[in-house]
Amino acid sequence: MEEYNFNLPKQTHDIFAVMARGAFISSNGTRDGMNRLYDVINNPENFDRLQAYFNVIRYNIERGNNFFYFSKLHEPNSEIEKKLERFERYIDIIDLFASMDNKIGIGSRFRPSEIAEECNANVRLKQKLQKIPLYRSETLHNKVREICDLMSRDSFLELEDEKTESYKVLDSYAYLLDIINSVAIYEDSGNSDDAQGLIYN
Amino acid sequence: MSLQVNVKDLLSNLYHNRGIVELLFGQRDQVTVNELLGRDDITEEQYKKLISLDILFEYENIVSLNDSVVAMFEDFMEIGEVTPGFINDYINELKRHIAFYQEAREMRFLRAIKKYLKRINATLTREIIKLQKNVDDTYKNESNYRIKLQKLEDYREKRDTIIEFIKKTTEIVDETRTLFSITNDTELFGIVSALKASLIENLDFLIEIQTDITDFINKIQFQLDVYKKAQRLKEVKDHGTLHYKTNFREVVSGINTLKHNGHKTPKTKIPIDFLYSDEGHVLCKRISEKYKITRLMVRGLADKMAGNFKDKGLEQQIKLDTEKLVERFLSQSKQNLFEYLMDYKFPKMIGTVSFEERLSLFVEIAMEYQTQLDFKYRLQYHDYMDGERKKRLGYTLILPLKEKEKTKRKAS
Repeated sequence: MEEYNFNLPKQTHDIFAVMARGAFISSNGTRDGMNRLYDVINNPENFDRLQAYFNVIRYNIERGNNFFYFSKLHEPNSEIEKKLERFERYIDIIDLFASMDNKIGIGSRFRPSEIAEECNANVRLKQKLQKIPLYRSETLHNKVREICDLMSRDSFLELEDEKTESYKVLDSYAYLLDIINSVAIYEDSGNSDDAQGLIYN
Repeated sequence: MSLQVNVKDLLSNLYHNRGIVELLFGQRDQVTVNELLGRDDITEEQYKKLISLDILFEYENIVSLNDSVVAMFEDFMEIGEVTPGFINDYINELKRHIAFYQEAREMRFLRAIKKYLKRINATLTREIIKLQKNVDDTYKNESNYRIKLQKLEDYREKRDTIIEFIKKTTEIVDETRTLFSITNDTELFGIVSALKASLIENLDFLIEIQTDITDFINKIQFQLDVYKKAQRLKEVKDHGTLHYKTNFREVVSGINTLKHNGHKTPKTKIPIDFLYSDEGHVLCKRISEKYKITRLMVRGLADKMAGNFKDKGLEQQIKLDTEKLVERFLSQSKQNLFEYLMDYKFPKMIGTVSFEERLSLFVEIAMEYQTQLDFKYRLQYHDYMDGERKKRLGYTLILPLKEKEKTKRKAS
């Protein structure tokens, strides 16, 4: 078997199963032993072996700050419109998270009901939430739930406790923040009133 | 205090109500009066007594432990808020006693100096450990951003204060070196050198804490900045200029994650061999149930083997050992095959062998061993009872082959 030549860790199948779905493996994820998988990949010896192994099928392991994901080698990017749509929605969601009184960042825990409650009390937030294009939900609470569900499926959040419906923000969330950070806004000259020059790169 | 208490009273009261004390220490500012009185280990009377002793306080229906009791526990277990104020007090006391000692060289002042030097050493270390722990806790567990930042800034200040104290202590120790050397006290010498060593060590720890705090603050600041940016982007997006005023399109098209490029999970076919295994059958079953396909259900799971399957196998073996039977038949010459089989006493292990079974054995042997048997092509008759009716069966006479003929046959 090929595997013996590569001397792979025994979790290779699990790692592939998660990452080939397009999911991230975060160091602070606990479901399905995600943190253990993270440790396995993070071991430099394992990393090189896995990288070599997956490169054969043209998958590349990418390393972020405390998370890993797959990219495809030398593959023309497809579905640009779909991608744009997706990331526009991420902007909406992150904007909502950013506008909460109790900002949701990496490692925060929250319940959808908390967000819904706050949105209910604040017209600006309520509008933001209502304008996020998701179609199934009528109540604010359900809409927040749907957002959380979507973000968990994209492995940025994790449903930590099903009974209390409490979510945790995973390290992979930093990926979205990095993307946001790398978008440059072309200012009309002389309109830079806030000191954010550092970020506009 | 409303009542005069001594150490003994206090201890016995705390011990007597240790369950309550533990609960209140563990769940500060959360326990209501009703909740507390609902417990088995305290009566209303005891509760009143504890209140009158000032061990418990009641405020707006919430019960809490006396702050000094809480502080004592926290202090002892080295948890709770960082309080560099103590060190300041100790340093002042130290200075005072050194001044006294310079005035009058008396042992009692020297003893106090030793005490405070030791205390400063212990407290500094403890405060630094607490600081480290609190910084970590705050970064990881404080959910509110503004409070988190504020707390971290506070810790930064506390750290500066502690550094200040370390410097002060070093100064005092340096200044009084000559004084201490006159005393010729080995114990004092030991304390001072231990203090000096730990001061240097603690300073290192504090530098580390400083980098931690700075790092944490930067991380939070980064997230805050990104969040501001996200809000700006959202604004731009709401104006409908996201694709024109930013390089959003460019950035997004550069994204190389599997998920966002529409790569589906690679699908592999199931090996056919797997479908024939028991696990494969379970899979087939599920699919057939889902799609209502009966064809997939034809093959069932193998039944569980009976516990005595080994014995049964043995029986089968004995039954099938016809070769031995034929050998025995060939070595005799009194009976023909049919008679031989009818009269043959099978071993007990097989149990009773019925007429039909003997008959099929006859046919089997006749067919399988025809080269060793002498077929006479003559019919003989056998009478037997089938239920109430008499029946007669005709059979071929088959005798063991004679030696002569055997060789003859072989030759031909």
